[in-house]
Amino acid sequence: MFEFSSVDSLKVLSCRTRMTSLPRVLGQEVIAGIFPPTMILFPAVVAQFLTGALFLVGFRRRPNVGAALGLLVLAASAAVVVSRGVGADEPLTETIGWLSTLGFDLAFRLDGFAVLMALIVLVVGFAVLLYSLGYFEHDSTYARFVGLFMAFAGSMTGLVLAADLFTMFVFWELTSICSFLLIGLNDKSESARQSAVRALLTTGAGGLCLLGAVGILQVELGTTAFADLVKLQPVGGVIDAAIVLILLGAFTKSAQFPFHFWLPGAMAAPTPVSAYLHSATMVKAGIVLLARLSPAFGQSNLWRWWVVLAGVATMLIGGWRALRQTDAKLLLAHSTVSQLGLLTVLVGLGWSTALYAGVAHLLAHAVFKVALFLGVGVIDHELGTRDVTKIGTARHRTPLVVVALGAATLSMAGMIPLFGFVTKEKALVALLDAEVGAVGVVALVGVVLGSVLSVAYSVRLLHALVGGADPEPDAGGVDHGGHDPGSPLVRGLLGAPVIAAAAVSLLFGSIAQRVGKWLVSPSTSLDASAKSKLVLWPGINDALVISAIVIVVGSVIGWRAPLAVPPSREKRGSRGERTFDVVYDATLGMAKRLTRITQPGSLPMYVAVTSVIVAAVAAAALIVDGLPAFEGFVSDSPLTIAVTILTIVVSIGVAVVSARFTAAVFLGGVGYGVAVLFLMRGAPDLALTQVLVETLTIVIFLLAMRSMPRSFAPASSWAPAPVRIAVSVAAGVVVPLLVLAVHGARTAPSVAEEYAPRSIDEAGGANLVNVILVDFRGFDTMGEITVLAVAALGVVNLVRVAERHRRVRERTRTAPFRRSAILDELVDRWLSKVAALVALYVTFRGHNAPGGGFAGGLVLGGVFVLQFLTGREPHLRHRPIRRPTTLLGAGLLLALGTTAAPLLVGAAPLESHIWKPHVPLIGEVKIVSSMFFDLGVFMVVVAVVLMMLLSLGARGTSLVGDDGGVAS
Amino acid sequence: MVQYPSIDWLAISPLVILLGGTLLVLVVGALTKVWPRGLYAVSTAALSAAALVVEMVLWNRVGHEGPVSIINDALAIDRFTLFVWIGVTIATGLVSLSTADYLRREDLEGPETYTMYVCAAIGAMIMAASNDMVVLFLGLETLSIALYVLAASHRRRVDSQESGLKYFVLGGFASAFFLYGIALVYGAVGTTNIARAGQLLSQQVFVDGDDALLLAGVALLMVGLAFKVAAVPFHFWTPDVYQGAPTPSTSFMASVGKFAAFAAMLRVLTTALGARADDWRPVVWVLAVASVVVGSVLAVVQSDVKRMLAYSSIGHAGFILIGVEAAGHAGDQDGIPSSLLYLLLYSVLVIGTFTVVTLVTRSGDRASDIGSFRGLGKERPLLALAMTVFLLAQAGMPVTSGFIAKFSVIKAAADNESYAVAIIAMVASVVSAFLYLRIMISMWMSDAESGDEAREKVAVPWTAGVVVLASVVFTLVAGVFPGWLIDATRDALVVVR
Repeated sequence: MFEFSSVDSLKVLSCRTRMTSLPRVLGQEVIAGIFPPTMILFPAVVAQFLTGALFLVGFRRRPNVGAALGLLVLAASAAVVVSRGVGADEPLTETIGWLSTLGFDLAFRLDGFAVLMALIVLVVGFAVLLYSLGYFEHDSTYARFVGLFMAFAGSMTGLVLAADLFTMFVFWELTSICSFLLIGLNDKSESARQSAVRALLTTGAGGLCLLGAVGILQVELGTTAFADLVKLQPVGGVIDAAIVLILLGAFTKSAQFPFHFWLPGAMAAPTPVSAYLHSATMVKAGIVLLARLSPAFGQSNLWRWWVVLAGVATMLIGGWRALRQTDAKLLLAHSTVSQLGLLTVLVGLGWSTALYAGVAHLLAHAVFKVALFLGVGVIDHELGTRDVTKIGTARHRTPLVVVALGAATLSMAGMIPLFGFVTKEKALVALLDAEVGAVGVVALVGVVLGSVLSVAYSVRLLHALVGGADPEPDAGGVDHGGHDPGSPLVRGLLGAPVIAAAAVSLLFGSIAQRVGKWLVSPSTSLDASAKSKLVLWPGINDALVISAIVIVVGSVIGWRAPLAVPPSREKRGSRGERTFDVVYDATLGMAKRLTRITQPGSLPMYVAVTSVIVAAVAAAALIVDGLPAFEGFVSDSPLTIAVTILTIVVSIGVAVVSARFTAAVFLGGVGYGVAVLFLMRGAPDLALTQVLVETLTIVIFLLAMRSMPRSFAPASSWAPAPVRIAVSVAAGVVVPLLVLAVHGARTAPSVAEEYAPRSIDEAGGANLVNVILVDFRGFDTMGEITVLAVAALGVVNLVRVAERHRRVRERTRTAPFRRSAILDELVDRWLSKVAALVALYVTFRGHNAPGGGFAGGLVLGGVFVLQFLTGREPHLRHRPIRRPTTLLGAGLLLALGTTAAPLLVGAAPLESHIWKPHVPLIGEVKIVSSMFFDLGVFMVVVAVVLMMLLSLGARGTSLVGDDGGVAS
Repeated sequence: MVQYPSIDWLAISPLVILLGGTLLVLVVGALTKVWPRGLYAVSTAALSAAALVVEMVLWNRVGHEGPVSIINDALAIDRFTLFVWIGVTIATGLVSLSTADYLRREDLEGPETYTMYVCAAIGAMIMAASNDMVVLFLGLETLSIALYVLAASHRRRVDSQESGLKYFVLGGFASAFFLYGIALVYGAVGTTNIARAGQLLSQQVFVDGDDALLLAGVALLMVGLAFKVAAVPFHFWTPDVYQGAPTPSTSFMASVGKFAAFAAMLRVLTTALGARADDWRPVVWVLAVASVVVGSVLAVVQSDVKRMLAYSSIGHAGFILIGVEAAGHAGDQDGIPSSLLYLLLYSVLVIGTFTVVTLVTRSGDRASDIGSFRGLGKERPLLALAMTVFLLAQAGMPVTSGFIAKFSVIKAAADNESYAVAIIAMVASVVSAFLYLRIMISMWMSDAESGDEAREKVAVPWTAGVVVLASVVFTLVAGVFPGWLIDATRDALVVVR
């Protein structure tokens, strides 16, 4: 069945304008959402939320205004429901486009059952809000209460109006949260908080079960609308899974066995909250769900048995516990559990008369339970206690309320002529007639036994009200337990709803036939065949006989049940609560242990885990698709093998030694080994650069390490050594395999084949590596030297900052280098000058032979290192360039200039120009413009080396200089 | 002869605006005295706003003219890109505002942090837009390096330095894997261009055993990306770094960092490797399930809120991965939109959450244990209410954006008959509800303890207030009227191919 509403046309509109700007679309959606034409149900729900939000956010000072506004909104909503719902030929439906693109919308439907439930929610809400005006102090807590209360009322209204399971789920979750916040409003005790958590988690988990069912039904049937489900009568294995999920949702929300434990605990909330949420409305959500879906799934045995067994068990457990409570409110809480069990059986049985009886009892229970809860609240307010052995004195203070309480209790017990009697008779008749096999018998026996218990606890409550303690000698005197009954207005506000509700119980009983007619529409809207009637006096029949026996037996048990119960027996908490706590604690404990194992904060461990997983994944890929081909990688040269083995040994050394210096030297050794391998494979340029870089790196390492501890910190102990070794080996094996795999899979031709022919013609160089660096990929080099320059500046500045901090503290003496006079002389006099020439030569020949700017710069850098090792700063003061930063800048500018110069003549940047001037004596000289670029690179590299040495080594040398000799 | 690519300046103008603007702020800021309160942040937010306007214009342009590939196919300008750009820009603006008073409080005032945000955002935007894996790597490194610095940027907290170092070491590790993966994929396909790789792979037929290289490459790419999105088992850095980093930086990592990494993951997996979905989908499945389970379970027992949120972000990453997994099914139309939607909604949520945490950690940025939230409901009821909204949204409560996000990915999974992952995700989200609950209980229901009076009061400066308010409004509006957002994510399905 499809229901269209005017929103659909708006959706079409918004689809058409989808490609326009986002804000406009947003605007249309918002407007369409807030002001949907010809909508009434959704605005009614929203109004309640908005009132709630208003008083949560602002208006904290005038909470009674908020309450008044809330009463108004509730009344108006009720008026809407009555005017649109009662007597309507066709139920009003509304669809709000929400997740339309995902196939889900909010759908409301005001059929008979929705009218009944909405009226219960709104009218009881009205009464309870009125009562709360007298119950709370008018402070900001009350403002928050009003806000949350209205939000809850909105959620609950939405829930009962929902036309499909998805919509119901949405509001279902909202009720859980609102209820949690309401309980948490002003609870001081630890146990109350625990109960609130239990309640939220239990009902929240149930809500997600419901979401699961929504998913299954949507995927399987393409709909979650209740009307469609009833029409489809779905069956099947997947549907059974949905049934189980739905039942779990309903049972958790309505506190059915084995989830009955959360409800009594949640009763620690203030009276208005308990009365509204935990008795009249929220806990009925599960019953509403069962009622909606029972006509769809009720014929399935799975559904029937689960419902009846859970319901009967809940009835008996709740009834039994209610007999053992000393707190009147807890007695009522357990009686609510028991009554919910009865409702579950009636509504979920899948028998149409039972459904009718269930709907009737739903109404009856809402009415008498509100009276009872609010009445006990009044007594609590008057006496400051709810102990069943003491509340007897209340009849001297508020006789009217006590009478009302008594009437409501009688209704709960099912005594004629109250409404409770009528509905319970109907239930018995329905169950006697039900033809559903063994499950029906179980249901009947369970309900009879449950009724005995409910008569018993009702009688016990009556006993407490009329008997109990004698009137206090000083009635109206000092002993109020610190409670001031308050002004007549407050007492009136508190008492009126109690009396009204009890009066309704009596009235509905006396006009049972008419009420029965009213209830036809609600129950037939669920199941068309659920048409029946109510009578006050059915005449003598089987049901009446059973009732009589039940009442007699129950009364005897109830009257004889002791009012006082040894405290040790009630304090312990129920088994359900304890089970919940055990599971809860076990989960937390397990997670805690898991965290300690997996997250110790050890960096080596994190790296190891990552490596192992990568190695495993890569290995899996290699194994699945075959190992790479090894041809061309197996060397038979003994020298290669020897160097390789040496390199491996040295690299193991890096990992094993504990002294930093040694490790750094070993690391250099690895580098040299690799350089040799480069050389042997025919890459002299790479080898040259590698050797020079390694040398400089070791020196800089050594300089930096002078101010660090001699040895590494003790090895991390995240795992025993064998494990760590295994991890390293695994990573070490897989990575080379991957390298081989890459190499073996080359499909495109090597770039060398493309570049080699172009090298001399276009760039005028025979050294392909260098040509690539300064010409073909010259832009890259430009970027690289810039980065190099930035890095050098960064190092210098970092060291400077560190020095500044250090100066404040004690100067740490670092080991200086020994000076040697002969070496000094040698280096100063000769080597440096020769080396400078060599470096320039290396730079300029680079275009055609191994060498180049990088290599040249590193050669000169190496000389500076030597000079430095002799214990003095490189002699820059005598040179025209005094500061290495100037050299750095000049080098960069030169490179940049060479890059940009061709632009001036209309060529591309870095395009090479080749001049071949004829120089006397030497002959023809070939000058390529990119040589200047390389000169720039040279200067940058030299500057960087100098800057590193000066900044990292400055401390050591200056100390040597101060002492004028060898220290320590 | 060098070939110059033509440059579509309008298309890259958001990047240009952000880069130019932030350099201006940095240089002028370095040359002048400390600016008046909040001005650095406001100017950065204004930059984001300017970029946002251009992005909106581009959104319309792409709507009319279709997606384009620019600068020699380096960047793809489609609605996928723009959606991420818009999200990243908004997140950058919000985080900048939430940082304003933080820096003043911690005595770290200066323009550098904001420049780092913007540089990281630019990296993130390049990642999202990249149509070439090398460009993608460039963006990744730009983002990552800025994030390392941000993590270590609280000069006086050793925790911050440690987290920066850890992030750097592990991040460098992951970047190396990623780069290696690019190399391997290049070796197998012969191009690093994402769209072209997709075309080639859809035509190429591999003989059995011939695609080891490609598989290894995909595996390494996955490692690199999984590290960036913090998916289990590459999540180790997350709790330590989130806890140690300055709180606003954490918020930036959790929003922009995740956005970019997931955008890159989606583009690489669906565009370049779409034809190999059967190979990577199981991997994503495992990552998704491990992340939702580990993230939810471990989050619950943490006693530090930042650490809790770190684990919860791992769980959220798992949810987004569910969307990614869905996108790997043939003919799927829900995976990418649901992931993008989740990213946007989560980013705003997490910024709101961390902004509140920033305020609660008080001077020194240390008070992030759960006890610090005690009594917030009484002291700052509105702030506590906002936090409640964020937490409920993160738990996936209906009428908040979090529900829409979770619902859309779970639905995408269910539509592709990945029931197992959908069920596991739902169970995990029940477990993670514990965690949000614990913070809520601490705020609203915990009794005051001795010494609470001596605590510094929680101050709410207007900049942070604006961020919290904007995030709450967005969280609720997107939760109630998600239609326009869902439509926008649907448009992101048309990408450069």
